[in-house]
Amino acid sequence: MRGFAVFFVKELRELLRTKRLLILCCLFLLFGIMNPAVAKLTPKLIGLMSEELAAQGMTVSAVTVTSMDSWVQFEKNIPFALIILLIMFSGIYTFEYSRGTLIPLLTKGLSRAAAVLSKCAVVMLMWTGGLALCFGLTYFYGDFYWDNSAVHSLFFAGFCWWLFGLLMIGCVVFFSSFAASSAQVLLGTGAVYFVMLLAGMYGRAKAYLPTRLCDSLSLFRGDLHPSDYTAAAVVTAALTAALILAALPLTKQRQI
Amino acid sequence: MKNILEVREIRKRFGSKQVLDGVSFSVPEHCVFGFIGRNGAGKTTTMRAVLGLLRTDGGEIEVCGEPVRYGAVPESGLIGYLPDVPEFYGCMTAPEYLRLCGEIAGIERSALKTRCSELLGLVGLEKERHRIRGFSRGMKQRLGIAQALISRPRLLICDEPTSALDPVGRREILEILRTAAEQTSVLFSTHILSDVERICGRAAFLEGGKIVLTGSMDELRAMRSDTDLALTLSDPADTEKVTAAFPQASLSDGRLIFPKASEKDCAALMAFLAEKMIPVTRLERHEADLEDLFMEVIGK
Repeated sequence: MRGFAVFFVKELRELLRTKRLLILCCLFLLFGIMNPAVAKLTPKLIGLMSEELAAQGMTVSAVTVTSMDSWVQFEKNIPFALIILLIMFSGIYTFEYSRGTLIPLLTKGLSRAAAVLSKCAVVMLMWTGGLALCFGLTYFYGDFYWDNSAVHSLFFAGFCWWLFGLLMIGCVVFFSSFAASSAQVLLGTGAVYFVMLLAGMYGRAKAYLPTRLCDSLSLFRGDLHPSDYTAAAVVTAALTAALILAALPLTKQRQI
Repeated sequence: MKNILEVREIRKRFGSKQVLDGVSFSVPEHCVFGFIGRNGAGKTTTMRAVLGLLRTDGGEIEVCGEPVRYGAVPESGLIGYLPDVPEFYGCMTAPEYLRLCGEIAGIERSALKTRCSELLGLVGLEKERHRIRGFSRGMKQRLGIAQALISRPRLLICDEPTSALDPVGRREILEILRTAAEQTSVLFSTHILSDVERICGRAAFLEGGKIVLTGSMDELRAMRSDTDLALTLSDPADTEKVTAAFPQASLSDGRLIFPKASEKDCAALMAFLAEKMIPVTRLERHEADLEDLFMEVIGK
């Protein structure tokens, strides 16, 4: 436990000093502001283009924007933020292994499990904080300009994205336990997502797949209810835990 | 004398290459032990096995009587390790890094502050406030020794600590190791033999995956007690007279070399030269050193 806490603080300090924390904050802040901004600016942009569109024979009637448009943007943007976060942290383990920075600490009594779990906790914390920032900004501006009550299951949709992000982080942790480089880690994580997409083509599996959690639009519109996501959420949580737990013995066996 | 480290018959194969083929040696308490071998001889492999960082194919390793197992964390504070190319977290300063190491080793916060200043003083980094990213190789090596000593280990393992350094840096590191050896045993791998002669009490030669020679420095030197004599004559025409009397002598670069000549042989040669009134420019006795022994061991 001591090793976990010390290493966790070291990771946070490293994030701060290497400016990665700042970059992540800016990224999630930008996405958080962009969601309502794009929705707010859409009528003006269409208005500016109306003459051009009229010349092409298209008539533009008055465009009404609601907070739903802002949340649709949220659903479109958050995967990009998650991908950037995964790319940024894909080498968090393999870089330490290849450079040998972990060796002096291991010989002082740091357990490999503590190193794996503290790094995992830091990435999960970053994802949680970033998602909260992005969600919070979208929520605040949604209420400020329009009315969020028109959109269904907002917080549950946010929770679903959070859980899906944890699964992807779990993949990074798992593949890092035996991959030689960050590229291999990303490839493995991408492959897991691709397999889930393929499996989703089989209609019956859809409700159990973690990719179901990414379908916020059906929740926002009220087409689906949180109870329709329960199975996928349970599978995702179990899979995340299994990936992280499997990474521990694999890392212990790894030649560092 | 009690042994701090016991290595018995360890073997390790990488693919088709048998890197270690029954390596055995022991390091006594309060001794600087030179671990000598060519590049790729398996020195680093042996050291990583001692640290439990590498799975061996057989054999036993004991540190302070405790068996070493792969992947198992050594008892805190038992071993300090300086890797051949030490890498640290570049965004930290030297005191911050030492504090991190101390906290992981479980040193009390109050004692840690004193220990960090002590060690930074020992390695000459007490005034260094820059981040490790900007450190030279020598500075990293010095910080490496400081972190290895943080928990007052019983055994300090240094993997080629001087190989990549300039002569000034080398001398500094050797001095630090000599000081450190007052409190701990040191296993020190290298292929720079003058470093071994300078600070080691015992040494072992690793060649072909085996320890081919081991002993105290005096014992090792005694193995090459016969020295060569090199004679340069004023008049090369006298060469034949000398070789006729001493058939073992051979001509090399205009000098007559008398291999493995004892002090008695030397006196006999001088008596002969005096008797025959043969003028001499130079007569040298070439003391055998570890390098000669090393060459002999590796068959070159």
